Amino acid sequence: MALGILTDITRCVGCRACVYACKEINDLPRDEARHLNSETWTCVEERAGLNVRRQCMHCLDPACVSVCPVGALRKTSEGPVVYDESACMGCRYCMLACPYRVPKYEWQSALPRMQKCIMCFHQRVEQGQQPACTEACPAQATMFGERNDLIREARARIRRSPERYVDHIYGLKEAGGTSVLYLSSLPFERLGFPMKLDVEAYPRLIWNILSTIPNVVLTGGVFMFGLWWLINRRETLSGTPRSPADAQSIASSSQDEGPEPGAGGDRTRAEEE
Amino acid sequence: MKRLWSVLSFWRVLAAAVAGIGIWATVVRFTQGLGAATNLSDQFPWGLWIGFDLLVGVALAAGGFTITATVYIFNLERFRPIVRPTVLTAFLGYLLVIFALLFDLGRPYRIWHPLIMWNTRSALFEVAWCVMLYTTVLALEFSPMLLERLRLEKPARIIRGLSVPLVIVGVLLSTLHQSSLGTLFVIVPEKMHGLWYTPMLPVAFFVSAIAAGLSMVIVESFISARAFGRRLEHDLLEDVGRAIVVVLALYSIIKLQDLLIRGVADLLFVRSPESLLFQVELVFGVVLPMIMFSVPMVRRNRGGLFVAALLVVVGLILNRLNVCITGMQGAMGQDYFLEPGMETAYFPSLLELSVTGFLVVMGCVGFTLAARFLEVFPESPGLDGDYEAARIEVQTHPWVRWVSRGVLVALAIVLVEGAVTFDFSSFGGERAGPAMLMSAPTNRLVLRLPPDMSYPPGEESPGVVEFSHAMHVDAEEPDCAACHREAFPLVRRAGMIVPRMTWSGEQLHEQGWCGMCHDGDESFSVEDEEECGSCHFEP
Repeated sequence: MALGILTDITRCVGCRACVYACKEINDLPRDEARHLNSETWTCVEERAGLNVRRQCMHCLDPACVSVCPVGALRKTSEGPVVYDESACMGCRYCMLACPYRVPKYEWQSALPRMQKCIMCFHQRVEQGQQPACTEACPAQATMFGERNDLIREARARIRRSPERYVDHIYGLKEAGGTSVLYLSSLPFERLGFPMKLDVEAYPRLIWNILSTIPNVVLTGGVFMFGLWWLINRRETLSGTPRSPADAQSIASSSQDEGPEPGAGGDRTRAEEE
Repeated sequence: MKRLWSVLSFWRVLAAAVAGIGIWATVVRFTQGLGAATNLSDQFPWGLWIGFDLLVGVALAAGGFTITATVYIFNLERFRPIVRPTVLTAFLGYLLVIFALLFDLGRPYRIWHPLIMWNTRSALFEVAWCVMLYTTVLALEFSPMLLERLRLEKPARIIRGLSVPLVIVGVLLSTLHQSSLGTLFVIVPEKMHGLWYTPMLPVAFFVSAIAAGLSMVIVESFISARAFGRRLEHDLLEDVGRAIVVVLALYSIIKLQDLLIRGVADLLFVRSPESLLFQVELVFGVVLPMIMFSVPMVRRNRGGLFVAALLVVVGLILNRLNVCITGMQGAMGQDYFLEPGMETAYFPSLLELSVTGFLVVMGCVGFTLAARFLEVFPESPGLDGDYEAARIEVQTHPWVRWVSRGVLVALAIVLVEGAVTFDFSSFGGERAGPAMLMSAPTNRLVLRLPPDMSYPPGEESPGVVEFSHAMHVDAEEPDCAACHREAFPLVRRAGMIVPRMTWSGEQLHEQGWCGMCHDGDESFSVEDEEECGSCHFEP
């Protein structure tokens, strides 16, 4: 079961019922905010004459979830990306990493949290209900359902009225695919949607690098230990002290670091041989 | 001697002043939150405390693992005299980094969370663990200095016996987190300027940290030679300088190759604040020091060696700040849903700067105290004769000193001029800001507002109420649900958007209806007898 939201920008009349429903269910102050912030998790912005509802995209493989060092963010099997504020230590890496710049921070608080849309997971979706925003929409511009059904519906709408839509379901592939999908009558770049996003999910960028760590540790460790071993043994066998000053410091070292135990061990072994 | 004293007390007064402001900044930060203390915002979640305190702090402490590896693994014993001061610098550096994170984290008392809450896909998780473990390694490497002082010979001997494994673990941990600090930014391909963003960031971070860490060893040696009147191991530092040339050369090749492979080399020649910053970073931080370190005459000159090393350090600072802050300025104003009135530029606040200054002062004070009370420098102190001899040697190449100073002055001029003239909001070149989006021809969906309505009077009502949507709503930005809520929300019925209406005359005055806004606060009150005629009309 992978759930999602389809927002049809052509149908939105800008009534902001979704905004107020969101504020009510999440107990957020009801103000005139026109943009996303820590107290506004969805908003309707006017872009090129259209009403564009913004919210968390709930990526299928979210960058924010992958970068959180304490796992405070989680992609649920149902689809919503949820946040555990009791784990969050406030590093704000999620805000940096999110390609949609959705996570917002409570800058004015002494004990701040990251805040964003969680698709009403705890209040609604977990109980098998739909989020407050989609329920409140009187124009059916934004709807909740199985992501696959929503994709089918979106394709059907494009097919039925090709003059009304651009042939692009935003969120189908962007950033590796998102649970929130958009349909529009204008090209999405005109609405300011980011268009250069990787079609593969973001976490891969980091994982390509992090997955080499075991290799680096093992080969690096063996290499350095081997180097130390070879260099020490060679110098021991050749029988020359490394430098006169050094020999001196070994002899009278109370303040110096003194000889390494391995070096000393090697030396005695060499003498035995 | 008298002159030296006056110099020292000048530094002391400065340190005390910076520490005072830093303590004030600390109070503001922890009582009023990050918003009050910093210029950070939702557009710029990371600023100076990450860019300088974390990224630069860790990189400049890289001397710790390179010098210990040189002595213990490559067995170049003659570098042993600089091991202890270098380990001390690195240890203090990492302590300060952790201290700085306590300022930057929104909830600093949860800094231990990565210990038990794991996310192995996160580069920051890996950095957290490596920094924690490597600080432990540094503490152990540092501990003999303390144990000797306390005359605890046995534990000191045990730890000295562990030197080689400790050094190997330290090198591995450093390799991992020096590079992972670069990995952190690999997740932002669209947000960082093309001159800095590359999947190779971890490699670039690692190599540049080695060069800067080694340069920091030289800078630190010079400063402590001056401050504590100690002999300078000039011949050793000269060899460190040679090593830096090799590392910088490697770094240049990596950078050049990267620019060419990604096909963004032309960005270098586009006139923009970014290309200028990149050029300054590369010329002053890489090319000039490479030349200076390569010329024997400069390398053997105290001033020359010092300035070359200082240039590498400044270059690294520029690089990290560019990656973390200035390289991101452009994109912050450029793409997705730039919201009008939002910050498009970040410059650290006075409080942020003073906290950073405070940390630097704490590092210097810590080093001074350690140098005074512990055996940091193996040789006996106070070789003023050598110091004087070296000073005479400086006189033999006055032109080197003047050229070095000239380079420093040039860098200072470039930096100051940059700081003064740069309009940070001009970063990113042409931007598709709201202006462009708005001015584009629109197919605006103009809402047909519902017709005027009249509500028949109730029993005590002075007359019919005529309600006009046009008077109450801006059709271009209707915001219907601001009023259509509670008692009469909008619903969809038979393909139409209609209010769910059940009302009676008395109710209209109440909270959910007209009284919702006509409460004497947002607009005149329904109870205001002078205003009855504004809505109620005689039939």
